[in-house]
Amino acid sequence: MPFTNTTPDLAAASPAQNAAPPATSTAALLVSLPPQSADALHATLANLTLAFPHRSLLLATPADAPAPPHLATANLHLLTYPPVAAASIELVLPPARFIDADALAQQHQAATCLLLGPGAEVLPPSLLRSLAADSADLILPHYHLGAREGLVNSAILYPVTRALYGTRPRFPLAVDLGLSLRMAQRLANSAQRSLTAGHHEAILWPVAEAASANFLIAEVDGCPRQLPQPPSLDLNALLAHVAASLFADIDTKAAYWQRARPAQPLQPLRETPNPTPGVPDVTPMLEAFRIAYINLADIWSLVLPPNSLLGLKRLSQMPPTAFHMSDTLWTRIVYDFALAFRIRTINRGHLLGALTPLYLAWVASHILFTDAGTPAEQHISDLAATFERDKPYLVSRWRWPDRFNP
Amino acid sequence: MWQQVHFALSQSAHRALFKLASFLPGLVALLVAVLVMTAVGALLAATLRRILAATHFDQRIARNQTAAVADWSPAHSPTLLIARFVFWACVLIGGGIGISAFDASFSNNSPVSVFLLPYLTHAIGAVLLLVVGNLIARFLARSVLIGAVNARLQYARFLSLGVKWLVLVLTGAMVLDHLQVGGTVVELAFGILFGGIVLTLALAIGLGSREIVSRSLERNVDLTTSDATDELNPPTSAVDPLRHF
Repeated sequence: MPFTNTTPDLAAASPAQNAAPPATSTAALLVSLPPQSADALHATLANLTLAFPHRSLLLATPADAPAPPHLATANLHLLTYPPVAAASIELVLPPARFIDADALAQQHQAATCLLLGPGAEVLPPSLLRSLAADSADLILPHYHLGAREGLVNSAILYPVTRALYGTRPRFPLAVDLGLSLRMAQRLANSAQRSLTAGHHEAILWPVAEAASANFLIAEVDGCPRQLPQPPSLDLNALLAHVAASLFADIDTKAAYWQRARPAQPLQPLRETPNPTPGVPDVTPMLEAFRIAYINLADIWSLVLPPNSLLGLKRLSQMPPTAFHMSDTLWTRIVYDFALAFRIRTINRGHLLGALTPLYLAWVASHILFTDAGTPAEQHISDLAATFERDKPYLVSRWRWPDRFNP
Repeated sequence: MWQQVHFALSQSAHRALFKLASFLPGLVALLVAVLVMTAVGALLAATLRRILAATHFDQRIARNQTAAVADWSPAHSPTLLIARFVFWACVLIGGGIGISAFDASFSNNSPVSVFLLPYLTHAIGAVLLLVVGNLIARFLARSVLIGAVNARLQYARFLSLGVKWLVLVLTGAMVLDHLQVGGTVVELAFGILFGGIVLTLALAIGLGSREIVSRSLERNVDLTTSDATDELNPPTSAVDPLRHF
């Protein structure tokens, strides 16, 4: 489907008192917007106008989106991209968005791309400006989530990405991205390969892509953000989908991450807002883990070394009040599952299904641990540091999977 | 009379030895054909593996990603998949040649040709059925076990065992039927066993799920009631919800 250009009429002026200083670059900026309601689109456009009052903006919206309001900026050009079929898993930016953004950027010679995810109307102008800076190839926001939000990211995605690629972004699967032209092109190529292979719901890993291409990665302070939630939360299916994609990407980029590289400097910990008093009921998660320990120990023994199995046995015998999964144990579990995914120790569907109860055990442990007084961000940072320290274990097992590892 | 007994025995031994002597060359031909083709297959597979590795076949496939070949390959290597396919194709061809040679060493009307050869092919089919049935049983048992555990069913292992034995019993009946052993007794025994397992599973699930169903119904009723009250009295404080994503 061809892309179309439209230029809006000039109408209302943007408030001068909130006008931002000129952006560092004056070249055209492509902003790819998600499907939004008319109100949300209006709010997003208002924020963008405030963020880039002196910069030429190419706004790309889905062709079937509601007509955008008329804004009074001569440097605003509206484009459309083919509507993306609704995905059953709406956690991340679909591959087609990367391809469309890159095509539009090439076509209109944009210097930088800004890809925004669902709910982008809450992003303040300052954050939009930071994301569109041309100081790095990939710029991700550090969202301000609650202590009990984004747990899969905290448990697996962030620590693994940080340990393997030496990068620091707290949300490797952020839905709002600032991309240089070459980064957009690289992601579009990767997305194209996924679509050619028929994987329309593939997850792209921008941080891993940027790291493996030696591109510059930056993280900017974000804002409170409601991340897109899937319409029906089937944790088993979603966790399996995300973990399978992550493990497959690790396998693809094994030649890169096995080599030791300097890690990006650590950012100071951001304080998470204190959760409302009271602990969520962790009993169902503990029960799920105990049932799994009784029934899945045979399957886990095919994947995990004896030391981890012993740790799980101890964990299954702990009373709920003292339940705590050590960072080392969780690190080894994730690494061993990644390895089993690679060498197909058991069917991959079974492998990922067997990961769910272990993840729930980690969630229960994390909740109890943070409720005891440890700040959530501190715990996640310590966990990520453990993943970094234990990386040689993964490298060793990756190279010699048959070697005995107690 | 002893002479007649002696004569009958010597005739019988002579006939048996003659049959064995005529049977052995066919058997040796079968074994030689299988062994030679296995060796040829191993040689071909090794050569093919070297050629494909030299031309970076795996990397090309990974780059194109036009098909999920790698997903079906052992150790994620399409090269290994092709090499193994060639090897086993050669072994199968060897088996075919051997059986043909075995058949050719007997006349069309000989009992070996009439009874043994069809039975041999049936036996090979039965072994294949047994292997495939076992694999399916293990796969389904594991799938049911993991699914049931993630659904927090206490009787997950029992369910998994039930499914496993259902498939194994079905496989066993098919194998015996293929070998033409047992006749109607096998069919009858299979019907009884299969029906028994299904009934046991149905009873177990029905009885075991009573609590789940009642909990689910109670939850629905609670939700309907709380929806009605929430509109009037929104909660003032609640524990932060967990968000996995």
